[in-house]
Amino acid sequence: MINRNIYRKEMKQYRNSFIGWSASVSAFILMGMAFYPILMQGDMLKQLTAFFENPFMKNIMTAFGASLDILTNVLGFYSTRNAMFIMLLGSFYSMFLSGKILAQEEREKTAEFLLTKPVTRHEVVGSKLAAYLTYMLLFNLVILVIGFLSLEIFKGDSRYRFNTFAIHWFYCFLLMLTFGAIGIFLSLLIKRGRPITNLSIGVIIGGYFIDVLSRVTPSVDKIGYLSPFKFVDSAVLQSGYTITGWRVMYFLGLSVVLFVLTFILYKKKDILV
Amino acid sequence: MMSKMYVIETRGLTKYYGNARGIVDLDLKIEPGEIFGFIGPNGAGKSTTIRTLLGLILPSSGSGKIFGLDIVKDTKEIKKQIGFMPSEVHYYEKMDVHELLRYSGSFYGTDCEARIVELADMFDLDLGRKIIDLSRGNQKKVAILQSLIHQPPLLILDEPTNGLDPLMQARFFEVLKEEKSKGTTIFFSSHTLSEVQKMCRRVGIIKEGKIVAVEDIENLRKKQLRKIQVEFSRPAKLNEIDCAGIINPYADGNSIFFLFSGTMNDFLQALDGKDIQDLIIEEPTLEEIFMHYYSEENEPNTLSRKQ
Repeated sequence: MINRNIYRKEMKQYRNSFIGWSASVSAFILMGMAFYPILMQGDMLKQLTAFFENPFMKNIMTAFGASLDILTNVLGFYSTRNAMFIMLLGSFYSMFLSGKILAQEEREKTAEFLLTKPVTRHEVVGSKLAAYLTYMLLFNLVILVIGFLSLEIFKGDSRYRFNTFAIHWFYCFLLMLTFGAIGIFLSLLIKRGRPITNLSIGVIIGGYFIDVLSRVTPSVDKIGYLSPFKFVDSAVLQSGYTITGWRVMYFLGLSVVLFVLTFILYKKKDILV
Repeated sequence: MMSKMYVIETRGLTKYYGNARGIVDLDLKIEPGEIFGFIGPNGAGKSTTIRTLLGLILPSSGSGKIFGLDIVKDTKEIKKQIGFMPSEVHYYEKMDVHELLRYSGSFYGTDCEARIVELADMFDLDLGRKIIDLSRGNQKKVAILQSLIHQPPLLILDEPTNGLDPLMQARFFEVLKEEKSKGTTIFFSSHTLSEVQKMCRRVGIIKEGKIVAVEDIENLRKKQLRKIQVEFSRPAKLNEIDCAGIINPYADGNSIFFLFSGTMNDFLQALDGKDIQDLIIEEPTLEEIFMHYYSEENEPNTLSRKQ
């Protein structure tokens, strides 16, 4: 299912973009967390109590999963303020990469070269998916390490459990994986491998706002389930925070179904170059 | 039953893109070791045929075999034995030539390095250049090398000379002759018959998705088709010679020009008593024979139907 030549070539081709995205997300995490000690200094956040107690603001803040208690905890701060950027950035990277890795061969007409080599269509998809998954894993390992370091550097007197951090990290990873599966699947539906960059931005931002909307407006909270963001459990300070089977099943199930459909569709696709 | 093993054999191979015609009911048989010319204008279905054979697109109906293997099910096995040269070259722009050729060679499990160097030298190709910086002619050379380095027993060439300068064309033909002497089968598509004429033993002519004729080049020449010019001492009228076998006549000044597939005796009798200044009878070029196949509605006595 995996052709080593293709895998190696893809790894080489997307190395620079991986370095770029990893550097960006690391910078975001470190800079974001650098605010934490500043806000804690002289109890700046606590002076905003009145602001947070305002019923209107309270609603908005809940929508974003924030409250004073949460924001004053270092992991709470990380998971509300930073994780939003990590989730969005990571989802973009994931969907851009997966949406490109297969479709680009058609767009640049190199599919004619590749598919006249002795490889099966399954091997092409398999090798490219393997390269995608490798970079997604590496990217998330970078987030795990940098995230952990940023917590350790800036935590001050605040306390957190590493397990909680790791579980939340795992949900973010699954979220990115799911957007990646959506990306590669959508890229196949589009003729001649046209880029899906704009579509990806729409899907991710759209998904994000559906999730936010469902949290702000209780009457439409059910529509949140249309968005993968809904399935990330960000309540890191709640007691008993743990991995939930149905959330993991949702991410993995959706991803596996889309990956399998990608194999099936690509096998039957006419390559018009 | 199949008594003979063909390198390529298709039966009723058909491809529609939605409602648009690609190829219809294509029957082709390519014999081992031959150079087969596949001739037709743009849009006739040459590329569709080649893409279907290579598994880039799936047939709507019919079947095809290459080396006895099914073009849909066994496409990977088949491609181990094929060198393919596309008509338009699209390679990874960021790679340099050597990198691309090594990547290409890496799929065949044989060491292609010596052959890469030898052929690059022969075609005067700089291996260190980036693909994106190459001229069209040089990209075409990369495509030549790419199709040859793993020494496949079947070459499928889609308009291979398109974009090559005459010197390189000559070298390319030399290489093909060498390949043929090694027993390589060559399937060669083109819209210029003259280049096929030099190389091929047989040609297949495709028109609007259908094969209109498959002929030996020698037979084509030997057929009694003649190119005739009759010059009168006065302005000529188009229909003034009444004889079976006159094809596509046209009058110009004192002369009539036409292709002739009838018997010479009848023709000479038909000329009897006419005011003839000059008579030129020559062998038509393949291009002219080809045009004859292509004239919209062929007369009943065409070459293909006479057989």
